[in-house]
Amino acid sequence: MGKYFDMLMEDVRAREGLHACMNCGVCTGVCPAAEFYNYDPRQIVSIVQTRDDDAIEALLKSDTIWYCGECMSCRPRCPRGNTPGYVIQALRTLSQKLGFFVESEKGRQQLALKRIIGENILRTGYCLVPRLIKPELHPEQGTVWQWIYDHDKEVYGQFSPVYMRHGAGALRRIDEDSLAEIRRIFDVSGGSEMFETIEKHSDRKAREMGYEEGADQQYLMDVFCNNSNEHY
Amino acid sequence: MKKRIIVIGGGVAGMQTALRLAEQGVEPVIVEKEPELGGKLRGWHVLFPSFTPAEEVLTALRRRINESGIEVRTSAEVVELASRSVRLSDGSTLEGDAVVVATGFTLFDASIKEEYGYGIYDNVFTSVDIERMLNEGRVAKADGTAPRRIAFLHCVGSRDEKVCQQHCSKVCCITGVKQAMEMKKLFPEADVFNFYMDIRMFGPGYEEMYREAQQKYNIHFVRGRISEASPTIDGRVQIKAEDTLTGRPLRMSVDMLVLLVGMRANDDNAVLAAGAGLNRAPSGFLAPRDLFLGNVCSNVGGIFYAGTVTAPKNIGETLNEGTAAADAAARYVEA
Amino acid sequence: MMKRRSWQEYQKEIADDRYYYARSCIRQNFFPGSEKAFIEILQNDLGKDLLDDPKHSSCTGIGYHSDIVPLETIMTVVARQFALMNEAGYENFVTSCITSFGIYCEVLSTWNEFPETEEKTRENLFKATGREFRKPASVAHTSDVMFHFREEIAARAKKRLVNAVTGEPLKVVEHIGCHYAKIFPKSGIGGSEFPYVLAGMIESWGGEVVDYPERRHCCGFGFRNYLVQANRGYSIANSHKKLESMAPYKPDFIVANCPGCAMFLDKWQYAIAEMEGTTYGQNGHGIPVLTYEEMAGLVLGYDPWALGIQMHQVDVEPLLDKMGIEYDPAAKYLGRNGKYIGKPASAVVNCCPTDTIYDIRE
Repeated sequence: MGKYFDMLMEDVRAREGLHACMNCGVCTGVCPAAEFYNYDPRQIVSIVQTRDDDAIEALLKSDTIWYCGECMSCRPRCPRGNTPGYVIQALRTLSQKLGFFVESEKGRQQLALKRIIGENILRTGYCLVPRLIKPELHPEQGTVWQWIYDHDKEVYGQFSPVYMRHGAGALRRIDEDSLAEIRRIFDVSGGSEMFETIEKHSDRKAREMGYEEGADQQYLMDVFCNNSNEHY
Repeated sequence: MKKRIIVIGGGVAGMQTALRLAEQGVEPVIVEKEPELGGKLRGWHVLFPSFTPAEEVLTALRRRINESGIEVRTSAEVVELASRSVRLSDGSTLEGDAVVVATGFTLFDASIKEEYGYGIYDNVFTSVDIERMLNEGRVAKADGTAPRRIAFLHCVGSRDEKVCQQHCSKVCCITGVKQAMEMKKLFPEADVFNFYMDIRMFGPGYEEMYREAQQKYNIHFVRGRISEASPTIDGRVQIKAEDTLTGRPLRMSVDMLVLLVGMRANDDNAVLAAGAGLNRAPSGFLAPRDLFLGNVCSNVGGIFYAGTVTAPKNIGETLNEGTAAADAAARYVEA
Repeated sequence: MMKRRSWQEYQKEIADDRYYYARSCIRQNFFPGSEKAFIEILQNDLGKDLLDDPKHSSCTGIGYHSDIVPLETIMTVVARQFALMNEAGYENFVTSCITSFGIYCEVLSTWNEFPETEEKTRENLFKATGREFRKPASVAHTSDVMFHFREEIAARAKKRLVNAVTGEPLKVVEHIGCHYAKIFPKSGIGGSEFPYVLAGMIESWGGEVVDYPERRHCCGFGFRNYLVQANRGYSIANSHKKLESMAPYKPDFIVANCPGCAMFLDKWQYAIAEMEGTTYGQNGHGIPVLTYEEMAGLVLGYDPWALGIQMHQVDVEPLLDKMGIEYDPAAKYLGRNGKYIGKPASAVVNCCPTDTIYDIRE
């Protein structure tokens, strides 16, 4: 009893985010995820504060903890000074550390986020760059984005003298020394380890689910695109 | 020569204290900062759970004060106190043999809970506004029309760390039930909601009143605290909350949102307590010497407490405390 | 005029000069003209010293809020940015992104609340880069700085947020971005409930702020809820909720504090129009969505295409017309040096109803 709770409380966000909840529901009342999914941040906090290992393990393996959009609308309103969003962040981090995230559809998406955003950070020093936002994967970006994407050097060239080149300005290429520093920061601070953990458990789960090549491009595209529509 | 006891505050606690002291053969003097006696009760319409007009209670107390010939000093604010004297804001000092502090509470300023838009959105009211409107005989939306949907929100300025008011104000629950019933009587066609976390029906007849509100008046009770209020294009108020019993978020528009404002400690408690060496609770209310055997006594000999200066209380409890404090103070000065 | 009463209680120190500028991943992707305009307004119009340091990186905030970048890692990335600022001789950190601004506030607050995390960060940074850092004297969002100079900008205004024909103030929906003040209400001008950072600009420049039921609601980014294709229903549903809520007020435009919000409120209007034919603006158009840099740029008389307004999906021309701004329709979609590079395909959100069609691109 309390093992997972103690692990959660090693995360300063859980300590900051959960004091004692009286189940008033102001967090859920204003939560964009609660309006969309079958999701209730109050209940998550309430479960965590039971300190019940079975209940917390079930949460760590569930879709539920992955619905939150981390908008933090819950934070300024809680009359007990809790931040359900922080508790979610701690739960997600622990779920990944323990490899539980692959047990849910929404959790498995972490691989896509790691491969798309995470690897782009190490490659370019930015979370995203125009070439990453491929129109075929982003139909919602519209016809103007397609035009920008097709003519990126011409369009961005009007606003930046250094588009994809070294120097100061928008969308510059970040110099190699700086990128090497970013990568070493990831190595020494647990970022790289988190990436490896996500890859390792995703590969295991992919094989378990019948992907013979493990967490390959097909698995990636499946976790990125597929929605069982059982979340509402 | 009669012993003289200074009673600070001329609300129900102070009046009852003074009346009891006079009965005991002690000479009380009431020091009231307002121009007249009565305190907060002057703004109330009828009292739960019996719907007794507040005026009835007030008139009786005032009449008895008059008949007893008790000395009353109005428009006199105490800025410093000790066990045998108080200093007033005009610089004068009043001497006595003991002091009873009956300075009451301060109403929570609802505009501090910015998310509810009190003072910004015209159809957001407080429970105090509703009492006033009931007294004026004109309860209506800001545009003067009759409301069709009314929501009461409990715990505004109570049980809320965000505004440094952790304590329960105790009487707002029953006030919400009472005002909901009054609204339903005025507007039988209206839907009336109470948004609550816990319904704390601590007094005699309260639980029965809660049941009557549900059963006879069809008042809806939703277990959830409202997250925010915002304006709609037609001048109504949109509210968001969770119905925690079903675990679903809820959004609705209402014609009137009524904030049941809590009781908080007076700001000047800090200064008065520091000057006299009195203990204060973390809530800011003054702390009795002992919560069981000395709850009308302070930690300083010769200074006593009556009423809501120590914690939120209803009128009945406050009156009883006035009696208890008078007896304790009388025993002290006669000893 | 929207009533508010408490914004003066939420004030913060905003430096008057010498800023270290941190770029935004999303802003430079979607609104590179806004970044350029911000720097030009600060440096040229207002004569301020602002350093655009090529060595700084993303704050990695999108990775952090997608939960793939650990707290310890992002704290170290933030520490590196501070170290670069120190080395360049600056102490006022200005960031161009609400996610980043939230990150900087959160990291500084975490270090304050849990000093052991700051110690660990210093160790990590030194180990990884050999650098050390001092905390900034001030952290501001770029809109805070623009707010700070709103009266100076008003004094130089070539256009106002006023209908040039009727003289009426334009009705403006301001969208603040959740991480501006919901995480740390005291870090945002006006706090989290009635933020005044954009409203102050709008009012100083002649416009009128529209309050509406879903004013404080999230734009719907929700990080993983947009970034992963399978989750985008969340994102569009939340933008949809806001658009439905604001449309009855007939706003002349939306101005957003956060580059992500500006992009989503623009792009989801396109998607909703394509999916169900609904448009929220006047005459069958979408509601134009501006960044505050674009808003300031238009007020100061910058050419709309130099501000990059052609990169929006929803046409801004109806607003330009209302403000009496002259522009060359033929120049809208040209490349560098006036090179013809084709035009975007037509879209429902940019078309008038068929009986009044005048799509300039056709």
